[in-house]
Amino acid sequence: MNTKITEPIKNIFSAQKAPIAMLLIFITMLFFKTPFYTRYNLIDLINSNSTLLIVAMGFTVVLVAGGVDLSVGGVMTVSGIIAIKLINSGVSIPVAVLVSILFGAAIGAINGYLTVYQNTEPFIITLGMGVLLTGVAQELTTARPISGENPAFQNLANYKLFGVVPALVLVMIVTVIVVVWLLRSTSFGRNCYAIGGDYEVAKYSGINVLPTKTLTFVISGVTAAIAGVMLSSWVNSGNSTYGDQTALYIASAVVVGGTSFAGGIGGAFKSLLGVMFIGILSNAFNMLNIDSYIQQLLVGLFIVGIIWLDCYARKVKRETV
Amino acid sequence: MDKNHSDPILEIKEVSKAFPGVKALDRVSLEVFRGTIHGIVGENGAGKSTLMKILSGVYQKDSGEIFFDGNKIEDITPVQSMKMGLSIIYQELNLVNTMTVGENVFLGRFSEMGGRKEVHAKARVLLDSIGCKIDTEKEVSELSVSDKQMIEIAKALSFDSKLIIMDEPSSSLTADEMQELIKIIHDLKNKGISIIYITHKLDEIFNFCDVVTVMRDGHVIATRNIDAISRNEMISMMVGRTIENEYPPRPNSVGEMILEVEDINTKLLKNVHFNLKKGEILGFVGLVGSGRTETVRALFGADKVKKKSIKVDGKFVNINNPIDAIKNGLAMVPEDRKIQGLLLQFSVDKNISLASLGELTYYGFINEKKERDISERQIKALNVKTPSGKTRIQLLSGGNQQKAILGRWLELKPKILVLDEPTKGIDVGAKYEIYLLMKKIVEEGGSIILISSELPEVLNMSNRVITICNGRITGEFDPLLASADEIMAKAFEF
Amino acid sequence: MNKKITTQSIIAFARNNLIILGIFILAIITSFVEPNFLTVGNLQNIMRQFGPLIMLSLGMTFIIMGGFIDLSVGGIISLVAVVTVSLIDPIGQVAALMVGVVIGLICGLLNSFLIIKGGAFKQSEALFLTYGMSVVFTAVALIYTAAAPVFLTYSKTDYSIFTAIGERFVGPVSVSFIIFLVCLLILYIIESRTHIGRSICLTGGNMTAARLAGIPTEKTIVFIYAVSGIMAAIGAVVLASRVTIASPIMGKGYETQAILAVVVGGTALLGGKGSVLRTVIGTLLIIMMSNCLNLLGVTTYIQYMLRGAILILAIWLDNRKQYSEGN
Repeated sequence: MNTKITEPIKNIFSAQKAPIAMLLIFITMLFFKTPFYTRYNLIDLINSNSTLLIVAMGFTVVLVAGGVDLSVGGVMTVSGIIAIKLINSGVSIPVAVLVSILFGAAIGAINGYLTVYQNTEPFIITLGMGVLLTGVAQELTTARPISGENPAFQNLANYKLFGVVPALVLVMIVTVIVVVWLLRSTSFGRNCYAIGGDYEVAKYSGINVLPTKTLTFVISGVTAAIAGVMLSSWVNSGNSTYGDQTALYIASAVVVGGTSFAGGIGGAFKSLLGVMFIGILSNAFNMLNIDSYIQQLLVGLFIVGIIWLDCYARKVKRETV
Repeated sequence: MDKNHSDPILEIKEVSKAFPGVKALDRVSLEVFRGTIHGIVGENGAGKSTLMKILSGVYQKDSGEIFFDGNKIEDITPVQSMKMGLSIIYQELNLVNTMTVGENVFLGRFSEMGGRKEVHAKARVLLDSIGCKIDTEKEVSELSVSDKQMIEIAKALSFDSKLIIMDEPSSSLTADEMQELIKIIHDLKNKGISIIYITHKLDEIFNFCDVVTVMRDGHVIATRNIDAISRNEMISMMVGRTIENEYPPRPNSVGEMILEVEDINTKLLKNVHFNLKKGEILGFVGLVGSGRTETVRALFGADKVKKKSIKVDGKFVNINNPIDAIKNGLAMVPEDRKIQGLLLQFSVDKNISLASLGELTYYGFINEKKERDISERQIKALNVKTPSGKTRIQLLSGGNQQKAILGRWLELKPKILVLDEPTKGIDVGAKYEIYLLMKKIVEEGGSIILISSELPEVLNMSNRVITICNGRITGEFDPLLASADEIMAKAFEF
Repeated sequence: MNKKITTQSIIAFARNNLIILGIFILAIITSFVEPNFLTVGNLQNIMRQFGPLIMLSLGMTFIIMGGFIDLSVGGIISLVAVVTVSLIDPIGQVAALMVGVVIGLICGLLNSFLIIKGGAFKQSEALFLTYGMSVVFTAVALIYTAAAPVFLTYSKTDYSIFTAIGERFVGPVSVSFIIFLVCLLILYIIESRTHIGRSICLTGGNMTAARLAGIPTEKTIVFIYAVSGIMAAIGAVVLASRVTIASPIMGKGYETQAILAVVVGGTALLGGKGSVLRTVIGTLLIIMMSNCLNLLGVTTYIQYMLRGAILILAIWLDNRKQYSEGN
């Protein structure tokens, strides 16, 4: 009985099923008369998922090193609001962007210090940080959307390179490339895998586990801040509700992609596929005119299912003796 | 000493180390010479592992001096010791399972080695040099224990080690793999590398060690050239007393059949079957991972099995979880006391009453007076040394913790008591108390399944011994009639 | 020398109870600055606010004592509130209340089913699963009411029980406070006297060892999530009665408040020890804090922020305490 259930699950997580699932959606959508296959929609698909992809990159780094960062939504929201507010009050755009990103790095450093050096549970600390940041965002905006007053700021994300590729997508592509390279080909990246795979062994092998793991949180804070600034520029507004479910959404997308909560397994490119898969899925739902609350239900069920399978795969592994 | 090896690579002078309540090392002195294979033997708890952990920098010594390759070692970290040329291959292997072979060899030195390609190329060269053909791109989790050991050796070589310490490397190797390892050890020796080989198997010492040091209770008893010591001498040095004194006389009141395990099948276990009689102590002999612990865990309903058919008192019983097992008169003292046995943050009382909680419950409510009575009775009966029943069990010594766990089960008067490594990490006095207790249990009509890594313990306590190897039962012996060698041969059979 | 030790122990005490001290100082300041603080009206106000949160927190105490966590209570509140209030007209208030509690129970059972079948025995795994379930429960609530709030006062049939829970007093104490006392008494007896109560602590202390010693750990998990679901449902009813409205997003944020109340009360997040009595203090402190801050004119946004900060601080301090005890 065990092998019957285990094998397919093992395959889902080892053989990278996200691309296949994506393909299935593409095929399914051929049978429906929807605007899914329009140039506009496909471009929008990439544009609208770019911010999430940027967040997912940093999130993956933390996960690979055996941590988790649930404050990404809060960091994203607050950074975006900081950028808009600073620019509205006359600060130059580069300075405002820099401050926002530094803010993200600082939050990441606090998360890292508390979880790594003080050895607390990352999920609960970053959950608390998320609550705290939501409060900050609400205070800064009095819980109302604020719009940007400097049109130049909009260009940051909307400027179209060669008249086609928006800067937002470009930033996303650069982030993905950097993080893929970081995790794959640098000492830091490989050390992250070692720390996530086996913390004690990594420690005894002379890896500076504490600073390395802390740095993963800083990276996560930075990518979340970049995403926040780009999102604010893209829609030219800041809103305290933007990041509400980002952490959960990203977490499940990353797990679908094949990065595990267990640490040491996965990669940035896998996360890209995972995010795109969920993005395409919800886009298809939209195209099929499914009610938005039903969509929320489906997404919720989907998330629970994916995380449950991730747990279950580990349970089966534990229990097969 | 051999004149050829007059230059010591490692000198340990008067090193002591104490842990709360235990003197783990007492003024230990030892010299290891260049290009020798130096065996260290001793029973569990003799201080071998503590000494190694001090050498590698996991523990810090309390006093004494250590010189390695002419340099004094003080406050060293594991990495520094590796970089100096001192590598240790632990029993619990130090590899990241989720990473590739190549990356594990050069763990933490990715850019030092020049990136992915170089890491794999250099790992290839190292592995080839010890005749190992594993693909460097393979993930470590897919490898066998012996392959993992090869990678550890390659890792040691990558640091240009002058001294490699192997901590019981044979404990999970097959005979063929062992031959392979011996060959590699000789190769290393020919390259001028010294080896410290820790074991408690005397055969290995006589097979390929040049010098042997015997340790016992935190002391070095003697260091001799291998041709200057006999097997019997070595045994009496290790044990320190004649074996008769160490164990109480074997109980012998074996009665009718109580447990018939007709078949247990899991991923590891293949058609495991055995039986147990009333008043009998049945010993399981096998390596770690051979299936000995897995068998009793399956019996007790702790793990999922593919197939299981068990009779208690002649009737088929269904044991799907520990609760079923307890209902059928089984009890188990698990292998890992701290993780599987104790609730460290809880009081001695609550740890003892744990298994009896159901009996103490009336309509869902716990009778706390009875709970205290149980605990008091068992603390007294087993002579558990604790300031009070309310003391956190964490604060007790290993032996007293183990007695508390035994008390937890004895309160239920189990028909079948499984003891998995009951004397691991506890001192000699407490060991003897536990042996006496075992004797008392069977004399009062209970039955015991005893698992232990210490062969003398199993042989001296059991009425009957079963060998397990690779998930199968490979033999059954009367320890009075069979020799230890015969039994070990079956336990290593593949 | 002697004196030095005393100062040290005072400092240690202060450090271990930093948050509690902080809130007390806040209360003292408030009582000076804002004379309204110590009026009967305000104390009754505190008591009313106490109502819904304490229910969740009591349930959450069992969850955390058992070594788990439940982020779905916010979703359960929303779902139970809209269903219960909307059912008053079709099936009557008593049946509606019963349905509400049963829904809470079912939600809790669903959580425990997912956790046990998925082997999500780590706190972080349970956190993600219940977080996801919260989205599901909220979505169901949104679909059920088409995202519109349901007004208690629009009910055409008798809804006197809800009114009583929401605003009636028996002598000087509110009805919701009596409900709280009853719940507290039951849960305290369970916790301190019964087999299942002990099992919760044992499971939280060391699940592996408890299971091997015959403690029904899986049943325990089912029990704590069921209790958490039921308590969330009761909390939902109390909340809806007080504000006379049920919205499909009304439970949002309550889960972190409940965790906060439990942790501030001193129940260890790691599981194994704690008490519903501590949670009463924790909840009271949290409510008192927000009451003080309201009186002092601090915005709800900053209060939200403070909640996050205190949660982090509480866990950090608790962790340090555990660490020093461990050595």
